[in-house]
Amino acid sequence: MSVSTKAGRTVSRHRMSDGTFITLFVAVVAITLFLVASLLVPNFFQWLNLLNLVTNNWAVISLGVGVTFLLVSGNFDLSVGGNVALAGVLSVWFAQSTGGTNPLSIGIGLPYWFAILCALGGALMIGGLNALFVVRFRIPSIIVTLGTMLVARGIAQVITQGSQRNTNLPEEFGFLGNLTMFGTSIKFPVVFMTLLLLVAIFIERKMVFGRITFWLGSNPIAARLSGIDRSRHLTYLYLFSAAIAGIVGILLSSEFKSGYSNRGMLMEFDALVISLLGGVSIVGGFGSVVGMFFGAIILAIVTSAATGMVLSPDWQFTLKAITVFLAIVTQTWALARRNR
Amino acid sequence: MSIPSTLDQPVTTPGNRIAQFLRNYYIYFVLVAVILGLSAANLDSYGLFERGNFLYKKNIINILRVSAPLITLSGAFCLLMVSGYIDLSVGSAMSLSAVIYALLAINGVPFVLAFAITVVVGAGLGVINGFLVVRLKITPVIATLITLSFYKGIALLLVQDGVSAIKSGGGLKMPSWFNSYGREGVLLGLPMAFWIAVGVILVLVIAQNRTLLGKYAAATGGNPTAATLSGINTNRVVFLLYIIVGVTAALAGIARSSFMSLGDPLSGDGMELNAILVVLIGGTAFSGGEGRVLRSFIGALIIMALTVGMLTLVPAYFQTLVIGAALLTAAASNHLISRKESAS
Amino acid sequence: MTEKQPPPVLSIHGLTKDFPGVRAIDDVSLSIESGTIHCLVGENGAGKSTLIKMLTGALLPTSGTMRINGSEYRPKNLQDARDAGIATLFQELHVVDELTVSENLTLGMERSRFGFLIKSDLDDRVIRTLKAIEPSIDPSARVSSLSVAQKQIIEIARAASSGANVIIMDEPTAALSEREVERLFGVIRRLRKEAVTVIFISHKLDEILQLGETVTVLRDGKHIATKLLKDIAGRSELIEMMIGRSVFQSYTPSTTVRKEAVLTAKGLTNKLLKDVSFHINRGEIVGFYGLVGAGKTEIARALFGADEVSGSILFKGQKIGRSPKDTIASGIALVPEERRTQGLFTEFTIRKNIPVMNLHRMSDRGIFRSLDEQTAAVDYVNQLSIATDSIDKHVKKLSGGNQQKVVLAKCLFSQADLLLLDEPTRGVDVGAKTEIYDIIRSLAGEGKSVAVFSSELEEVLGICDRIFLLYSGSLKSEIINNADVDVSHILNIVTGGEGVV
Repeated sequence: MSVSTKAGRTVSRHRMSDGTFITLFVAVVAITLFLVASLLVPNFFQWLNLLNLVTNNWAVISLGVGVTFLLVSGNFDLSVGGNVALAGVLSVWFAQSTGGTNPLSIGIGLPYWFAILCALGGALMIGGLNALFVVRFRIPSIIVTLGTMLVARGIAQVITQGSQRNTNLPEEFGFLGNLTMFGTSIKFPVVFMTLLLLVAIFIERKMVFGRITFWLGSNPIAARLSGIDRSRHLTYLYLFSAAIAGIVGILLSSEFKSGYSNRGMLMEFDALVISLLGGVSIVGGFGSVVGMFFGAIILAIVTSAATGMVLSPDWQFTLKAITVFLAIVTQTWALARRNR
Repeated sequence: MSIPSTLDQPVTTPGNRIAQFLRNYYIYFVLVAVILGLSAANLDSYGLFERGNFLYKKNIINILRVSAPLITLSGAFCLLMVSGYIDLSVGSAMSLSAVIYALLAINGVPFVLAFAITVVVGAGLGVINGFLVVRLKITPVIATLITLSFYKGIALLLVQDGVSAIKSGGGLKMPSWFNSYGREGVLLGLPMAFWIAVGVILVLVIAQNRTLLGKYAAATGGNPTAATLSGINTNRVVFLLYIIVGVTAALAGIARSSFMSLGDPLSGDGMELNAILVVLIGGTAFSGGEGRVLRSFIGALIIMALTVGMLTLVPAYFQTLVIGAALLTAAASNHLISRKESAS
Repeated sequence: MTEKQPPPVLSIHGLTKDFPGVRAIDDVSLSIESGTIHCLVGENGAGKSTLIKMLTGALLPTSGTMRINGSEYRPKNLQDARDAGIATLFQELHVVDELTVSENLTLGMERSRFGFLIKSDLDDRVIRTLKAIEPSIDPSARVSSLSVAQKQIIEIARAASSGANVIIMDEPTAALSEREVERLFGVIRRLRKEAVTVIFISHKLDEILQLGETVTVLRDGKHIATKLLKDIAGRSELIEMMIGRSVFQSYTPSTTVRKEAVLTAKGLTNKLLKDVSFHINRGEIVGFYGLVGAGKTEIARALFGADEVSGSILFKGQKIGRSPKDTIASGIALVPEERRTQGLFTEFTIRKNIPVMNLHRMSDRGIFRSLDEQTAAVDYVNQLSIATDSIDKHVKKLSGGNQQKVVLAKCLFSQADLLLLDEPTRGVDVGAKTEIYDIIRSLAGEGKSVAVFSSELEEVLGICDRIFLLYSGSLKSEIINNADVDVSHILNIVTGGEGVV
């Protein structure tokens, strides 16, 4: 594609951006790994298996959207796992009826739809707390979101007294989390994840909001001098991420019909991992949710192939570490070579 | 003639001097306040020094025994932060060391050798961190999150399936000397592990005040350009500090596993959080340059007193919330204090 | 019969430095005697900093030689210069705030055994040096408690005690108060007693006259004269040497200026600025001219809302918000001083750099219109003659001049009515310079107002209708540009003089 200009110069699109390159790189790695795993693990190479890699991880992928956006802006969000637990527990507690025998079965007794709305509100408050500490008090986001993760999970633990609430729930509570759609066995949460991804891709590529995120992460000083409102934008980002975590928590507790204070444990870590695997840069201004998606597939392949090869679940920590390390090293190398 | 400028040396007013005094010694006030607060909590049911209350002798001894790992870690962690770097893998390094130590012991390796090998392993873990951060130039947060996961994974793998930790059972028995290091009182009723911890702090305090490493760490964290221009090899300084952190993580792991008489691959979980809390309370800045080992030591005592005190005063399920709130409060006040100083 | 004189501490023969398209230093020879305070003056672009860079090893000369105490001197980097005894005082302070004064003085040079710091004569020596040049500083004080002026003295003491026999100070008084300047002079004079040579670069001629023993004047890269200050009659002689008979770019009187003020500033004051007041008319190109530390960037940023300032600013008759976001919305745009760190998103392409200041124009309810973005980018590439074969080229690969044009495009896209250009042609090649000047003129022709903040006299005299002269944070004088403008008067004002020379 080229556009001729008055001066006779051609203005043409001749090279894909580094961002697209890395996303493609990650996609290729994902596909290669799938093929390799298929050779090593019996029964791996199945359409259903590939689908499961995605559907089983709908929660982490959804969280990854928020985490990716924040990373692109140059910040962390480690609070998402705790927020998942909080939102789930709140949705149960708010929906539990007020009469009950033991303290863990007595709730607020709100109508279901109102209960989940309030639970979402609770999650958003955690997001607001993140924004406050990061923007106003200017504390490094890694510390802030570590703290709010503990606070969120802590509140969940207090409400469930360390375990879970799963009694005295209205009929419709398990509806959303177990709803199958389009006459197939695809559940609503997976549809949610897909919609979220599509919306995220749209925002990233086509919306001003996405573009501002990139500018902010790439050069905060130039961004300010170009009129970008960092405070407002970061607040939106943290609320966005918190909202996702809230919905994930609500859906999970609906699926299991319980509010468990340990739910979402380490999900923030996994969300960070898949973003890094997907080529999102920690310094900001670079990365894509598409890459994160493929990063999730890579992680899923590695962990499930490991299980398939009869490695115990204890291997996941080491494997994740090695995978992220390799990803960072190879991506840096690939970019350096490309731009030499 | 020219008008005398007021932009010069700060006037040492009485108000200024009080501020200075507070900045240097506030942590002791906090320690005393915490002790008083915890002692007063149960005063209605128990006497001040009686069993059941905080200041009960056996309680104090127990708290100090359990504090050995955190104390050991706090000094080195502080020094690393002074240089402007962080190590989030200390908890996993501690767990891994605990597992290795127990593994060696249970397989008949004598005390001194097992101890030495574990310490060397700890140093090795520090070398890996240093390599990732200094040589490969990966951001410290990500690099040490990677190693956090990696070390934890190895610790879990070293423990067989079906067993939660390395301990007596299934034909192997933990040697009788195993828990004397961490439990048996040798001086004032406190075990070797505690005194080694104190010794480590002493060594690091001396290092901070009297050695090149201490001075160069502050220079590297305070003004890396100035440090490099002065001919300091900042890479070497940081690498060395990571190794020292690794060694103290190993010592912490040895202390913990000796105390519990087993090698638990999850024993160090959350230690990095404690370490962060400790250095925040101790006034260490995340940006580097600022921080005292001695204050981190006091901070460790405060955190441990609060943790143990919390166990009795507060239901278990409140604890995560308390830690999270403490982290946020400490971070906020730390930042406010350091901002105020730089504004002057 | 006189005994043989010791060689000068520093001597230069036929030093020349060429850059592509320009000769920055042209056959300069001079010698500096040991233990003197040697001043270096010259207008902007005269070559002072290029000369200093060659002395400190930051640049390699194209030809010519340098000698230190008679021996050949060819530094390849800063370390070589330091080893040879030449220390430089930079604008950014290289002290560690968290350490004490004496710790800073000995940093990197400590004696140690097994890693332990041991007391050595170095500690006494540095303290003695410090006391010799500035006895009022307490060696055990934390550097963070010292003022900027005192930290500067610490650096000087450090240089002196590390064996430097030549200390180069480039505009050291830019951020100092009167009393601090006095104190610095005391330090420099005491340094002389310690047989340290000081090369003092400043545009504040009063300081030169007060402090210096010898002065070298550069102009257009050439050495004009080196004289003893006692042989110099006064400011006027120095100024005459500084400007010579240069030919300035001819200025065409503007036909675009209207008698309607678009911006009025009253009493602007902050850390550096002192009660600055002025107004800018519609369709006018104004210049803010002054040398280092005069306050140009501070005024630009204050107008843009990037920094705080007290006083009033009325734009189009109204008070405007005090943040970049607000001022952009009101119609002001700033091209910042440092394009790479402040003006551009270097990791992005040209097309992705342009829309940021005016997102409304490029979007529809939050959705970007890529086609419009592409068209806009293509338009600006043509309009501003940005040399590139694609709008998708990464900005960091462009030359300085083209990068500056991208920043300009960004600001033009915001459809601002007042453009603030901070050093718009710094680091830009001659061809691009002329293009940028043409762009500025055409902007005025469209009825926009432009404020050029520059330290290049030729530049402001070439395009500005009115010029504000700045010195040390104050707006000293305002002149209307025409063919009879008195350049020596201008130089007098911006170097601290009062009234007509």
